[in-house]
Amino acid sequence: MEAFICVGGILLVLVLIIFFYLLNTARKRVNQTNTLGKKQLLPVYVSLADKPTSIIQGMNKFRTDVNKTEKAGDKWRWIPMLIFLAGVGLMLIDGVIILLGYFSFIFTVGGVGLWIAAIVMARGLRKSDSFDFSTRYNGTRDLFFTLRDDLKPGSTYLGHLDLTGSLLPTKVARSANDAQGRTTEYFRDEWLALKAKLYDGSILRVSGIQKSKKRKSYWKRSRISGKMKSKPEKFKGTEHGLKVRIVPNPEVYKIAKTSAEFKQGLNIGKFTVSQLTAEGGMISFVASSPFEDVEHENVLQVLKSAYSLLQRKAA
Amino acid sequence: MSRKVIPFIVAFVLICLVMAVSGFITFTGLTKAEKFGSEVAWSQSYFGAESMKVINLMGDDQDELFIQSTDNVTIFDGSGNILFSQNYDRPKTTLGDVNRDNREDVVVFYIGDSGFAVDVIDNGIVSTLAFSLDFTGDPSRVAVMRFASGPQIVLGDTVGVLRSLSPGGQELWNQRIGGAEFRGMDDALIGGQIHLAVATYNGSIAVIAQSGQVVWEASQEQTRRMRAFDLNADGNSEVITGGEFGALIVYSAVDGSVIHNESIGQAVSEVRVVELNGDPGAREFVVGGKDGGVWAYAFPNGSVNRLWSGSMSDKVTEISGIDINDDGKEEAVIGDEAGKVSVFTETGGRNNLDDHSTGITRIDVGRLNGEKYVVIADGSQVEVHKVNFTSLPGFQYTPLIVGLILSAVILIIAAILASIPQRPELKVSFQDKSRESLEAERRMLKESIADVERLRKSGEVTGDAYLARLKRLRGDLAENETAFKTAGFPIKVETIQCPNCGGTLELGMDKCEYCGQVLLS
Repeated sequence: MEAFICVGGILLVLVLIIFFYLLNTARKRVNQTNTLGKKQLLPVYVSLADKPTSIIQGMNKFRTDVNKTEKAGDKWRWIPMLIFLAGVGLMLIDGVIILLGYFSFIFTVGGVGLWIAAIVMARGLRKSDSFDFSTRYNGTRDLFFTLRDDLKPGSTYLGHLDLTGSLLPTKVARSANDAQGRTTEYFRDEWLALKAKLYDGSILRVSGIQKSKKRKSYWKRSRISGKMKSKPEKFKGTEHGLKVRIVPNPEVYKIAKTSAEFKQGLNIGKFTVSQLTAEGGMISFVASSPFEDVEHENVLQVLKSAYSLLQRKAA
Repeated sequence: MSRKVIPFIVAFVLICLVMAVSGFITFTGLTKAEKFGSEVAWSQSYFGAESMKVINLMGDDQDELFIQSTDNVTIFDGSGNILFSQNYDRPKTTLGDVNRDNREDVVVFYIGDSGFAVDVIDNGIVSTLAFSLDFTGDPSRVAVMRFASGPQIVLGDTVGVLRSLSPGGQELWNQRIGGAEFRGMDDALIGGQIHLAVATYNGSIAVIAQSGQVVWEASQEQTRRMRAFDLNADGNSEVITGGEFGALIVYSAVDGSVIHNESIGQAVSEVRVVELNGDPGAREFVVGGKDGGVWAYAFPNGSVNRLWSGSMSDKVTEISGIDINDDGKEEAVIGDEAGKVSVFTETGGRNNLDDHSTGITRIDVGRLNGEKYVVIADGSQVEVHKVNFTSLPGFQYTPLIVGLILSAVILIIAAILASIPQRPELKVSFQDKSRESLEAERRMLKESIADVERLRKSGEVTGDAYLARLKRLRGDLAENETAFKTAGFPIKVETIQCPNCGGTLELGMDKCEYCGQVLLS
């Protein structure tokens, strides 16, 4: 009897796992979070070396393709659940036959076969699922769209848009141990690198850098119980940096020494200008933001303000 | 191969597999929806039946139910009315035509007022054949042997003494085997001639000729059951014995040579011949164990093969071969000490009949009042059952139906999965192929590489992050060079690929920065 209850219990748990797996497939619950509780986003890497229109169109097309794949799977999402229920129906036929006093297992075997088929189909449908696009994807596309008319005709945007994630092991810039031996990792994610030759002959280089800090999980002995306990990893914060270099066309501009609209310590939108040099024929500055996400309007605002350091030479 | 074709190929393979398995199960007859049931026609109180047989014993051309307990012999008619009943002291009975009237008589070996005696009951009339016989133990076994020279009544007691009487009651011969209770007494054929096979509890097995001479004798572990059958109809019987400790031994009745010897792991409580496969050229036999084990054996080509095994809830007390569903094959109806009765089919499938409140002692089948009945005796009563068999018509084709359903679902799934477009690669490259653009990209990549080097020197980026970034930029540089070559523009190649890890390196490097491979050649 105990063996029957044990085996029955295990089978029931298995059936429930399959049922909820298929139910979640049907209800499209794929909003997964990473170990730090942050929402998983689509890990896209875009290499840029093309004209603005081509890039914008390409980015739109890519987004449409991803959505198309997802939507193609969406209309079939309930089918695995229906197949599962059909399997239950087949098994019930065996139940009825057994209630009538006969012995039959063939419909149960068929039902299990249908369940396996349902799981295979659900996996196939889930493969077509994708995470949401990062807001940076659309923001960067809008940035490209806004700057498109400022580019030198025929020239291209160069660089990359890296949205694969800011806390990847390959983005650990350095790590440090504290007095207790706990390791803190410092991440440097240059998610945007953009170089463009502008209409006025100037060169613009923009880097969007997100710096994050995370303490790795570690083992600690409890002061009360004396047991070793594992402490989970902890996200310690993030900040955003915008590193910009503008090399103005010396035939058109001269660089002003000061500007009320753009100076060190000035707050522009979500950014604060933290470093500024305007020597050697190049404006180089770093604008920092304590926010994890900065909108493309803030970036454009900073760039526009930086241009106030340029004074057009008399013709 | 097209992405849309692959799901259909996989589906086709799976469908072939499913249909092959379905076809195999269907056409080998592995699935049947059959059930056996029974209704009690009549029952009579009867305690402790030891022997029971449906047979014509009276002069009415109708079969009666003969039954014997430890102190009584009774004959019921087909409706359960008592035709004959007489009490005896420790009787043992057998059925045989002693007086050659072509009707079986009941032979009773018992302890009478004047010692050991033998009665013959013919058509309900009792006549004493012999009395004051010289036995020291209690009656143990009695058999009517149809020897070539004429019938003999062979009597055995609980201390191993055998005495043979003529139909007139004169002693023909006597013999002493083993020295313990007889656990089996059967007729065994040697060259078509009937001989007597006996086995005693202490493990002595013997085959005796009609003259009383021992043809051969053997000994084994303590014997609980012995039966002799001509399993392959060659005119020579096989003697099957079951031991107290699980030994199942099959001897040749001719010379006592061992044909088969195995241990079934529990004491053998019953052995019976059951014609399971309907082939009259070879008989099958079923063995029951003290712990409820049930085994079926066949005897093809002179060797014993196990067909299947099953189990009952308790000690198997009786096995009977009955063709319940009139298909020419007998089912094994098996009773156990817990009162359960089950029907085992040719393939070993078990179907339970109604339970009894006390242990099953005897089961037999026969025609009573022209109807086929199964008679089951338990510890307190004898029940006459009308056993029925029902099956769902066409059920054997259900595997094909299930296979078709499964195949249809597989095909639908394949069609759906093939209709979903492939998810685009998540690494996208937008690249203008003009020379100016490629050169600008090249410059940008070199600037980026220089930036990473600067960051490393300033300590902002160290270790794996530096290498990972550098690897990606160098990879992009290699792609840029490829784009140059593809477009037919001259380019000075500045990258090489590590032969070990495939990472892109700057031309002239002597060691791979990613995997440590030495590149000097």
